[in-house]
Amino acid sequence: MSTSDSRQRRLAGRLRRPLLGLVGVAAFILLWKLAYMFTWAPRGTLPDPFSIPAALVNEWRNNHLLPAVGSSLIHYVWGLAVGTLLGFGVGLLAASSSWFDDFHYMLARVLRPIPPLAWVVFAIAWFHVSHAGAAFVISIGVFWVNYFATAAGVANVDPRYYELAQAFGHGSFIKRVTSITLPGAAPGILSGMRTGVGQAWMTLIAAELLGVPGMGQQMNAAAGVGAYGAVVVYMLAISLIYSISDGLFSLVQNRLLRWRP
Amino acid sequence: MSDALVRVADLTFGYPGAKQPVFRGLDLNIAEGEFVALVGGSGVGKSTLLRNVAGLVPATSGRIQFARPCSAGRRDTAFVFQDTRLLPWRRVRANVGYGLTGLKLSADERHARIDETLRLTAMTDYGDRWPHAVSGGQAQRVGLARALAVRPRLLLMDEPFSAVDALTRQHLQDQLIEIWQRLGMAVLFVTHDIEEAAYLADRVCVMRGSPAEIVHDETVAMRHPRNRNDNDFRRFTQRVANQL
Repeated sequence: MSTSDSRQRRLAGRLRRPLLGLVGVAAFILLWKLAYMFTWAPRGTLPDPFSIPAALVNEWRNNHLLPAVGSSLIHYVWGLAVGTLLGFGVGLLAASSSWFDDFHYMLARVLRPIPPLAWVVFAIAWFHVSHAGAAFVISIGVFWVNYFATAAGVANVDPRYYELAQAFGHGSFIKRVTSITLPGAAPGILSGMRTGVGQAWMTLIAAELLGVPGMGQQMNAAAGVGAYGAVVVYMLAISLIYSISDGLFSLVQNRLLRWRP
Repeated sequence: MSDALVRVADLTFGYPGAKQPVFRGLDLNIAEGEFVALVGGSGVGKSTLLRNVAGLVPATSGRIQFARPCSAGRRDTAFVFQDTRLLPWRRVRANVGYGLTGLKLSADERHARIDETLRLTAMTDYGDRWPHAVSGGQAQRVGLARALAVRPRLLLMDEPFSAVDALTRQHLQDQLIEIWQRLGMAVLFVTHDIEEAAYLADRVCVMRGSPAEIVHDETVAMRHPRNRNDNDFRRFTQRVANQL
């Protein structure tokens, strides 16, 4: 086999996945188009896939898209930051202190099964329909993800490393936490944070459907007037922003965990 | 012994709830710069004694006393573990410097200490590697370097070469002798390999019984480098083996 043959084969192998992926997307759009043409969904509730670019231009020109994205990002960043910090802190405490673990485990069992959206009622009562209310609901979902990931990550740190820390002058609580617990639990903690990044989006849209300004509210408003094309535009915007945030987080995660084989 | 660096006196250790202690009333003196090997069967309490001396596990009763306070920039003890226990999230250099935090050393002194220790253990070229990218023998040298970096007065080694192949083990033993002769610290070396003990140590102590005690304590009257095929060497190992 010649060198050019093997190069072509390698190139074909590398292109196979993205090409097949594009074929999959095209197949989905075709199916969507067929569903639209043959009205598989109730009339007027499924937009023509080829009308989506026009709907995007329309939302942009009417100055709906960017303010909605900006508003959602405010809830997202605040909710994500507060939920992540608290979840990480309480999870770390729960795994590091048996007293605190005993003190809070029953409360955690009671609160954990309550879905974040069930808190919307209190969010509205306490914060009214505001950024803070949406951020509150988001932070609850993110809190639990980070709480469990951190607690499990810390509990799984090899205890032999603590003996090492003690043998080499790192026996104090702070030195143990910074030199052993946090780096040792980092893979679990970062996985939890990454899951939280996705969880925050899911809760965010649901919280906004109840009236807090943002993409969820715009989707609700557009659906109310039968503009399902606009709904799809916001759905795609959510997908794009999530992919970007997840991609950025994965870069940070890979950088921090570059010590792993 | 008047010039003892460490005096272990009347030491007893027992696990809570156990019917009898692991060892009772144990005495052991180690002189400045002396290399003492501790041999005995599995579970007799050699590693526990080492952990007691390191302060990792408190003894039930008795005393462990160092001759005088440790000078600045050093630690009384440093531990070399059987399983190397390198921190996977620290590069080799950072692992070697792990015990230097908290010692009265400037940043320059710390760097110099790490460089010197890496040179001593022939690991200079591996300083920037992650622990997963070094071999078992190299990892054990990094574990030794981490302990040497704090310039301990007493180096505690818990079967450090038991997990490497025979050839690497011999190489590591020769390297340890060379480093010990250069740095002059005392060593308490736990092993179940009598030949290894006889090859390395100035003194070999045998632990036996339940509760364990030191039943045999013999000076190795042979100069380094020692020959494992030498008649004196064989007779010595046989004498120690008879005590086990």
